[in-house]
Amino acid sequence: MAGVLKPPGAFAVTPHKVSVCILLQIYAPAAHISVPFPFSSVAQHNRLGLFLLALTKACDDIFEPKLEELISQLREIGGLLHHWLTDHLTNKLSTLSSPDDLFNFFSDMRGILGGTDSGVVEDDQVILDPSSNLGMFLRRCVLAFNLLSFEGVCHLLTNLGIYCKEALSNCPPYEAQHLDDSSNDLEVLSQYENMDLENFVFEKVTEEIEARERASKRVPFHLHVPKALCGLVEDIEVLVDPKSKHGDKGREVCQYTHSTSDALRDIDPNGGMFLRTNWQIQGFLHEQANAIERHGGSYSFNAFELIMKQLQKYAPELHRVHYLRYLNSLYHDDYFAALENLHCYFDYSAGIEGFDYVPPSSGCNSLGRYEIALLCLGMMHFHYGYPKQALEVLTEAVHVSQQQSNDTCLAYTLAAICNLLSETGISSTTGILGSSLSPFTSIGISLSVQQQLFVLLRGSLKRAENLKLKRLVASSHLAMARFDLTHVQRPLLSFGPKASMKLRTSPINVCKELRLSSQLISEFCTETSAMTNEGDFSTAWLKNLHKPMGSQVLSEESGSGSFNVFQCCAQPSSIPGSVLQLVGSSYLVRATAWEIYGSSSLAKTNALVYATCFSDVSSTSDAALAYVKLIQHLAVFKGYKEAFAALKIAEEKFLTVSKSRILLLKLQLLHERALHRGHLKLAQQVCDELGVLASSVTGVDMELKTEASLRRARTLLAANQFSEAAAVSHSLFCMCYKFNLQVENATTLLLLAEIHKKSGNAVLGLPYALASLSFCQSFNLDLLKASATLTLAELWLSLGSSHAKRALALIHGAFPMILGHGGLELRARAHIVEAKCYLSDPNFSVSENSDVVLDPLTQASDELQVLEYHELAAEAFYLMAIVFDKLGRLDDREEAAASFKRHILALENFQDEEDPLVNML
Amino acid sequence: MSSKENCRNELRTAIRQLSDRCLYAASKWAAEQLVGIEQDPAKFTPANTRFQRGSSSIRRRFHTNESTSTPISGVLYVSTPVMEEDEVVDGDFYLLAKTYFDCREYRRAAHVLRDQIGKKSVFLRCYALYLAGEKRKEEEMIELEGPLGKSDAVNREIAALERELSTLRKNGTIDPFGLYLYGLVLKEKGSENLARIVLVESVNSYPWNWSAWSELQSLCTTVDILNSLNLNSHWMKDFFLASAYQELRMQNEALAKYEYLQSIFSFSNYIQAQIAKAKYSLREFEQVEAIFEELLRNDPYRVEDMDMYSNVLYAKECFSALSYLAHRVFMTDKYRPESCCIIGNYYSLKGQHEKSVVYFKRALKLNKNYLSAWTLMGHEFVEMKNTPAAVDAYRRAVDINPCDYRAWYGLGQAYEMMGMPFYALHYFKKSVFLQPNDSRLWIAMAHCYETEQLSMLEEAVKCYKRAVNCNDREAIALHQLAKLHCELGQLEEAAFYYKKDLERMETEEREGPNMVEALLFLAQYYRGQKRFEDAEVYCTRLLDYTGPEKETAKNILRGMRLGQSSFPSMDVEHFPP
Repeated sequence: MAGVLKPPGAFAVTPHKVSVCILLQIYAPAAHISVPFPFSSVAQHNRLGLFLLALTKACDDIFEPKLEELISQLREIGGLLHHWLTDHLTNKLSTLSSPDDLFNFFSDMRGILGGTDSGVVEDDQVILDPSSNLGMFLRRCVLAFNLLSFEGVCHLLTNLGIYCKEALSNCPPYEAQHLDDSSNDLEVLSQYENMDLENFVFEKVTEEIEARERASKRVPFHLHVPKALCGLVEDIEVLVDPKSKHGDKGREVCQYTHSTSDALRDIDPNGGMFLRTNWQIQGFLHEQANAIERHGGSYSFNAFELIMKQLQKYAPELHRVHYLRYLNSLYHDDYFAALENLHCYFDYSAGIEGFDYVPPSSGCNSLGRYEIALLCLGMMHFHYGYPKQALEVLTEAVHVSQQQSNDTCLAYTLAAICNLLSETGISSTTGILGSSLSPFTSIGISLSVQQQLFVLLRGSLKRAENLKLKRLVASSHLAMARFDLTHVQRPLLSFGPKASMKLRTSPINVCKELRLSSQLISEFCTETSAMTNEGDFSTAWLKNLHKPMGSQVLSEESGSGSFNVFQCCAQPSSIPGSVLQLVGSSYLVRATAWEIYGSSSLAKTNALVYATCFSDVSSTSDAALAYVKLIQHLAVFKGYKEAFAALKIAEEKFLTVSKSRILLLKLQLLHERALHRGHLKLAQQVCDELGVLASSVTGVDMELKTEASLRRARTLLAANQFSEAAAVSHSLFCMCYKFNLQVENATTLLLLAEIHKKSGNAVLGLPYALASLSFCQSFNLDLLKASATLTLAELWLSLGSSHAKRALALIHGAFPMILGHGGLELRARAHIVEAKCYLSDPNFSVSENSDVVLDPLTQASDELQVLEYHELAAEAFYLMAIVFDKLGRLDDREEAAASFKRHILALENFQDEEDPLVNML
Repeated sequence: MSSKENCRNELRTAIRQLSDRCLYAASKWAAEQLVGIEQDPAKFTPANTRFQRGSSSIRRRFHTNESTSTPISGVLYVSTPVMEEDEVVDGDFYLLAKTYFDCREYRRAAHVLRDQIGKKSVFLRCYALYLAGEKRKEEEMIELEGPLGKSDAVNREIAALERELSTLRKNGTIDPFGLYLYGLVLKEKGSENLARIVLVESVNSYPWNWSAWSELQSLCTTVDILNSLNLNSHWMKDFFLASAYQELRMQNEALAKYEYLQSIFSFSNYIQAQIAKAKYSLREFEQVEAIFEELLRNDPYRVEDMDMYSNVLYAKECFSALSYLAHRVFMTDKYRPESCCIIGNYYSLKGQHEKSVVYFKRALKLNKNYLSAWTLMGHEFVEMKNTPAAVDAYRRAVDINPCDYRAWYGLGQAYEMMGMPFYALHYFKKSVFLQPNDSRLWIAMAHCYETEQLSMLEEAVKCYKRAVNCNDREAIALHQLAKLHCELGQLEEAAFYYKKDLERMETEEREGPNMVEALLFLAQYYRGQKRFEDAEVYCTRLLDYTGPEKETAKNILRGMRLGQSSFPSMDVEHFPP
């Protein structure tokens, strides 16, 4: 009824619980023997105990297992005893035929509980401690039974009858309930899905999910068992019948057909289906929520939706279901369903149900916590790429949390706003953010968006620290690191005494922030113990145990083959997934940082660390990012062949991720390769594809947009359409300037310099190259700086041979960086320019120092051949031929000339070649 | 059009057949319509006709355009032959079973008929079983109420009934009543498409079973579904269409149908009540009140639809009338959801919201899906400042019927109260989508856009414009529009709307601060436009009011006079006579 929240944790007696009670009676008979009758060893006895514990704790499904499932599990666990156990169980169950039997049964059950006050406990006596997990379970069962009305006892009796009959009649386990019209829709949907081009992908995904589920079905048990015991039970795996779970199997059920075999179900369509205890279900939902968030779109939408619908039918007051449905539709890009479910969830729950970071002690005020609704709604808009609405909603969330003095929510909201501001390009926030957010606007000083972001970041970090929200602190540090990476710190006030400040980004700060964020790994425990309840912990515990521990990085059979491998039964990691995720993402930021600063090997190392150590906890999109970085590295250093081979593996792994970075990477690689091979039409086509990927909303997908226009400019440049290329890069520069994308600015300026160089206006190119250099300097973009220096050298060189010395000096200055961290193309270019410098120097004589020229040229030609960069390779061979000619080595000259010819021909006649990669598009 | 006499004969037979099969609701309905047909004055004594006299006064008062209210002319009705009974004399067992049934001993009734094969017996057996299952379901629902609200009680007879009825249908040995029951079962099971097909079959072969029609109507959730039904034309179809239109919020179409039907069933209480319902939705409270007064005079112990009457009385703040009504229904039957709802309304009007919530909750206990009680309870919670409870109540209403714009509106209001205007907009949008002709909804939405937090004034202007077009009774929109345009610096538009507002206030003879504001603005505006004569008119009107505006008006007048007089005076100086 409205306004009255039901007390959580109510507990109902069900046939399954009766079974567990019977087993408990076997486990702990009120007898004075250390190993009670049917058991032959302590180990066997313990096995049963652990199994029972697992039964009361497992959060892997919403429904309690049926009798036959229980029996089959007993078969796994009981070994030789299983016949006896099963017989005893079924006999006992079938003797319960009148209310009085049940009454007697439960009063017997009280007998196996040890009294708390009975001081004398003999050593070898098996007694169930009333405060142990199993003891509590038993007590709750007895209590729940005692609370039952007579009608309730009658229902229990009927249900027991159905429960036994179904097991004995051996009819197939339940099929999904008729959800008639809706299930018809689902059927249609699934057909539609099957019609899709990615038919095989769909199947593959469901297969994979099933596999994953099967893997996670293995109910592990050892909670607080000493190591010795652990060894005893090591070899037992309890497999839950997979048929009982997978809801979409029921899709085939036709609603009009009625065979006689499911007559039983007709009599009682709901027979034998009972929800697990409240916290088991909450745990299940929690686990599912994590899984959805991590796997995103690769989670099967319909199967999960079906489970949720069932759950909703069985527990209409469990509003958390709406939240799960919201998540599910969110990650499957169903905007309207997501919106509806979100509103529905918060209307019903008032934000009080199921949110962990609301400390219950802070007074479950009756006013509800609708600010959390706003926070979620804001993040949803952000997810769908509506930054304006998101900001609007989040601002409202700030207002409401301030009003309700919900500091925790305020801290999270501020973090979300920071995230929004840093991810999307917003050129001005005036009028959007309220004055309450920033102390400066109240003084009347208008701040740029970046400064505002900085203030907000600092504020949210401080807030999180004050509230001791460790995770938020860690992620704030990460956000700070990301901010420091690309922003020069300036004084916030434009007046007053100015401390002398170097206008450079400070890598030290980035390092510091990253380090601080990683401290979470040692600090989280204080927080978790305060906030996670028993259910949460056991869920996390189960989850961590289920993870395949083997290394998965870049191994082709990863994921699919590993579930049959015996589960590692080592001590489960007690670090919650969210903490690991945060720590992992600090490695990703590290990789990005090194990428920007120009140390490709360190970037690669960090990406590798992420892919190896965190891939099992990370979300698929993050894992994809790590793979992307590794593959990009391969492409730059090993050439396309290897990169495409790796890409194929990654593609299979991540195909279902929506808005996939993998797709982007594929397009990038294809474009790069097309440019190198001179296949301009293909390059243009790929460029267009890239452009389409970005959202049309301004400020959203900035990364994609800059990437697309950068590549367009490069394609135009390769086609020698200089003015068009210049126009495109000019507008790109304007956009980057508007949205404060400084790193991209440096790249764009360098591209402009290149355009001018190629068009023969070296003088015009110089200022651009110099500007790019200074950008690189202040943002510590070392590798980009080296390549800018190289361009500068080329520009000087093209001004005439008198500048060859200066150019050479420039190149030599940049060589350590280029040779240490540069990719194949950059190194080759540097070598060629070096050779050209020598050759154009009038004081240089080839015959004396032929090696000085030939060495770099041969190296360059080798590297370029790997890259299939025909144009530059031709140039290298041309120069080599000239040198050989001067040296009089005619054979070598002919060979070089032949190579030159080959590359030129390849450049001109790319159509003739069979290119297997063209149809990758 | 079939003659009144035909209708009468058909209904008489139908009533007998329906009550023979214990379909009491349908036979009650049919009997009501039978009496609703204008009687042949030659055959009846004045005592009979007195019963019907009152209604005509309503018609005189409100149905002046009766000649135009016959939209459907020339429709040829298929005359469905009255069904032949297969058993002219009921078997003894049937008689026994029927008595058991009448004593609500359903299972016993079914048991008696276990071996009977006549269509009538088969139907009664199935129907008794169905009702037995329903009864048990209701009981179980209370017994099973779990911690998470699990009340998944189902009618346990459904599956067996479905099997039996579907075989009967396949064999062709099913009568229309069996089809109706089959449709009922299918609907409960959730197979709505098949249920629709079966129910259409049923009503096509036996159109006088109103229960079948209303089941069918509840399955027509969209106009498209309604139009796709393949129904024989029969006068019962008009009743069906009217109620379906009403449910689909096509009030005017429904009204037209009812008014047409009233030409035959001129004294039908049912039709009157439905007309009242439609008019209530069109917010014509005066007429609704008159109709209900009439209804109560004719049928003083009526409880159905009286909750709507109480809503009208509530809206008109008729304390005593509402208390009288509450007393009356309370004495008639206190355990009807409608009675509880009326009492709740009364307490709400008295400002005793806690008590009113108690009665709404009782109404909901009696009928969990009683839509208006959820919504009204939401209103009460809003009054009690218990917003989470209000939100919960509204949300339940919405989940029962997603087309209930009042509940969506209530949700929006609740969130707006909590200072979440942007969040509230979602709900207002929903309600406006469902009821685009209600100015209050548009105004509420505009109000959200106007708040300081959002201040999306352009959007607010758009909403107010819609509100103006929707016959805004309280005349808020015009004033707000003028003010907003003024704020946005669009003076011309502001002047236009102020003028309109002024005109409206003049015709409705309202005075107040809005009037002063409008006059002042217009005076200043016209002075700025150098249209001094117009400005003077407004200023002089302002002089009738007290307060600072009067002084301002005086100043303006003085200034204008000075400005105007300065030119002639200069003339005098320069050109002496």
